[in-house]
Amino acid sequence: MTSALVVGETFAVETWWVAVIKAVIIALVGFTLIPAAVTIERKLLGRFQHRYGPNRAGPYGTLQAGADILKLLGKENFRPSGSAAFLFYLAPMLAVIAAVATFAIIPLGDVVTIFGQPVGLYGIDVGIGPLYAFALGSIAFYGLVLGGFSSGSKYSYLGAMRAAAQLISYEVSMGLALVGVIMATGSLSLVDIVQYQQEHTWFIVTQFVGFLIFVIAAMAETNRAPFDLVEADSEIVAGYMTEYGGGGFASFYAAEYLNMVVAGGIATTIFLGGWAIPFWGDAPDWIAPFVVLFKTFLFVIFFVWIRATLPRLRYDQLMSFGWKILLPLATLNALVTAIVVVVA
Amino acid sequence: MTEVLFFLSAIVAIGGAIGVIALKNPFNSVLALVVHLVALAMLFLLLHSEFVAAAQVVVYAGAVMVLYVFVAAYVGEEGETWTSGGRLQRALALLLAGGLAAELLIALLGTGLRSLADADDLPTLDAGFGSAAAIGELLLTRYLLAFEAASLLLLAAAVGAVLLARRRPGGIPEGPRVLSVTDLVSTAGTGSMTEGMRGTLAARAMEADRLAERRMAEAALAKAGKVAPAEAEAPSDAADAEGEAK
Repeated sequence: MTSALVVGETFAVETWWVAVIKAVIIALVGFTLIPAAVTIERKLLGRFQHRYGPNRAGPYGTLQAGADILKLLGKENFRPSGSAAFLFYLAPMLAVIAAVATFAIIPLGDVVTIFGQPVGLYGIDVGIGPLYAFALGSIAFYGLVLGGFSSGSKYSYLGAMRAAAQLISYEVSMGLALVGVIMATGSLSLVDIVQYQQEHTWFIVTQFVGFLIFVIAAMAETNRAPFDLVEADSEIVAGYMTEYGGGGFASFYAAEYLNMVVAGGIATTIFLGGWAIPFWGDAPDWIAPFVVLFKTFLFVIFFVWIRATLPRLRYDQLMSFGWKILLPLATLNALVTAIVVVVA
Repeated sequence: MTEVLFFLSAIVAIGGAIGVIALKNPFNSVLALVVHLVALAMLFLLLHSEFVAAAQVVVYAGAVMVLYVFVAAYVGEEGETWTSGGRLQRALALLLAGGLAAELLIALLGTGLRSLADADDLPTLDAGFGSAAAIGELLLTRYLLAFEAASLLLLAAAVGAVLLARRRPGGIPEGPRVLSVTDLVSTAGTGSMTEGMRGTLAARAMEADRLAERRMAEAALAKAGKVAPAEAEAPSDAADAEGEAK
């Protein structure tokens, strides 16, 4: 096929083999962050509940998460007799693939030169930014729902139903919360959004309502407490992943924690100025990824804190909060921002 | 690279489309349709339409198909399969399929072949073709009327959905209001005057459930032709609750 199309602007700045190496590195970094997030959560939850948390494997229990993952991967990969085999094995893969692919759009830094090659410190700088994350979110959604439906268990089925309703409800508010930011920036690219914040102020100041809505909706989207009705232990055992053990369970578990990190990363990029450090304009390039990861893990710690603080919502509370409070607020925020952007 | 991706997505798209009609289980058919839609999004990507591709996945694969999955999982039984229609339906299907094939052929011959013939001098695309900004500008200038008409249609659909889903007299009886904005702002159990008057959130929710159950029982009794003396049937705790509220 001869492509006679002339592409006006291309987002790729590097040669193709740099992109391939970058994809591998980004995926590895993503998978490395999972045990880090698990460790932070377990240690902090322990402290919040007046106990030590894991403290046997490795110094301060830091190797516990890795040991858990190894143990899970070593277990037998069985499936219940009433389940649909293909979908049962496909579901956890979908969840992990979508989570890692979403991690690729979080910009860890600007374009830098490594060994004479221009390299953007992000997986891809897509021109549709947040929409890409939402598209992959809907793929991840199929991971959850198929896992629940294919298990052939009532608890899994109930969990999948809850997941479907909850994720759809809060996705709307999450998208609308970002509309204000996108209108102010005039671009969907996450790199552009970070650069805009470097030139002006961080969006956590100018878009505070949008920030609050986004963080709350992100907690619901990633099934974090107090919105963890999808896997409410006291009601439906573990929801959609009830019937999973070994590798399948590890995959769902990993996807869940990576989703939490990704949600923190997107919030960092959009509202906390990405790799920018306040009052330090000429920071060296190598520090940028660490700044992004530091801010991201601030969000992770915040999510853990919320989990330790708030009890789980009731289902009707979840729904009326999402539709009757969060959505009108997000719409109002978008409307007011639109007026301000046009007038100012 | 583009060719490989094109044929890969095209084959997956056609395979998904065949799967929709060939698979016996409705649930699997719905999933095949999801695969088809995602493959179509890939084809849009190859046409430099990132925004349309993302919208395709978010709206169709993410929102519309979720409803289909819901319905197929709720209603579709494991043993239930498609049944073939009668003779008339089969004849009609053949006729319509033939018509569609003819239509597609005309479209292909009319545009596709001509563009292959003069592939060397294809029109060049402007910078930012297919980006969200370009599409937004087109929607608000050239296609404004169609855009507004579509949004009006969507609004009508939304209003219709709310109307259909609203609580009607004779349906599930509506209890007292369970949750309001103020409940989320104020801390429960602080002994405020509102709580003293109306009870805590949990207590009100339980009261609403109890009221709803009682009304349903009364309605069932009334339907059965029996006289339902509400005062005599109602247990004394209703009176107690009222007394407490006062």
